[in-house]
Amino acid sequence: MKLRLVDSGLGGALTGALNMATDEALLDSVSRGDSPPVLRFYRWHPPCVTIGYFQSLEAEVDVDACRSRGVDAIRRLTGGGAVFHSEEITYSIVLPLDHPLATDDILESYRLICSGVVRGLGRLGVEASFEPINDVAAGGKKISGNAQTRRKGCLLQHGTVLLGLDPERMFSLLKVPTEKLKGKAIDEVKARVTSLRDLLGREVGYEEAAEALGRGCAEVWGAEFEPRALSPVEEAEAGRLAAERFSSPGWNRKR
Amino acid sequence: MTARIDHKVPGGKLLRVEVEIESGVVLRALVHGDFFAHPEEGFEAAEAELAGSPVDRLGEAALSLFSRPPLRLFGASPSDIADALREAAARAGAFMALAAGSQEPGEGGRA
Repeated sequence: MKLRLVDSGLGGALTGALNMATDEALLDSVSRGDSPPVLRFYRWHPPCVTIGYFQSLEAEVDVDACRSRGVDAIRRLTGGGAVFHSEEITYSIVLPLDHPLATDDILESYRLICSGVVRGLGRLGVEASFEPINDVAAGGKKISGNAQTRRKGCLLQHGTVLLGLDPERMFSLLKVPTEKLKGKAIDEVKARVTSLRDLLGREVGYEEAAEALGRGCAEVWGAEFEPRALSPVEEAEAGRLAAERFSSPGWNRKR
Repeated sequence: MTARIDHKVPGGKLLRVEVEIESGVVLRALVHGDFFAHPEEGFEAAEAELAGSPVDRLGEAALSLFSRPPLRLFGASPSDIADALREAAARAGAFMALAAGSQEPGEGGRA
């Protein structure tokens, strides 16, 4: 199968709003038939907290703390929980719903797509496995969270692979009822979540991770990549969505 | 009267629901949480249809609406959502009884 490859992280990191908008612009592009199925890698600057589609920003995120620390906070198109995006590589994949990886069985499509992440981690020397519904784990701890939506005849899945983990910083940005519960939540994350730094005892940079994940996906899906950056139309659409949707209180506080 | 409650579901997801009731009728019900629903708009349509439901039938209505194809839920089931909404409605009812007992106009309670 042929997949278009977009490496948005090569030129540096994008804002959260532009990252989420680019995912949606690519969904629109594939939906219109202007793009083949596409795999994208990206990173975030400034750091960003995203919340799941059905969450309440007010209930989950300490927006004042985010503002004072220069961290963005936005709602995703996909369900799931709040995520702090900082030391990570993120991928997104957009497929028409008749694509072999986009099975009608949603759980199966998570498994098929995450198998690329599992193989990519294997190339880095990390033995990982898919953990239903939507996680990838290594050494008994989660290293990758993934979220999927289906719109306009397409599947969009995005997911993270943690390069590093800083639960203290994460919980300084999320709402937790009390300091005592915050300590408990930090301990729980330390017990349940891991990163490439923790597993390998060394720094894995964005480029190395993107290379490994790309190769892993190509191997396990039998994919051949065609690198192609965003078209001017996609760029413009992403810019518009970043400004009008993902930077707007109307969207970010819609629930 | 509005009540908000958090409801943990088996598997670890957290439902945060808000129910506003008046004279035994649901004015608004909101279901927040870290679950997945496909299609998302179908979930929101079901949620909107809860308005107007008699409070004592809220759970039943939720069970039926959130089970309606093609809606598919992951991380929380229609019965988890119905349970959370019933719990919130009961809380709102308790606030109302409390407000009536103290002869003060109800201004909304918070869990």
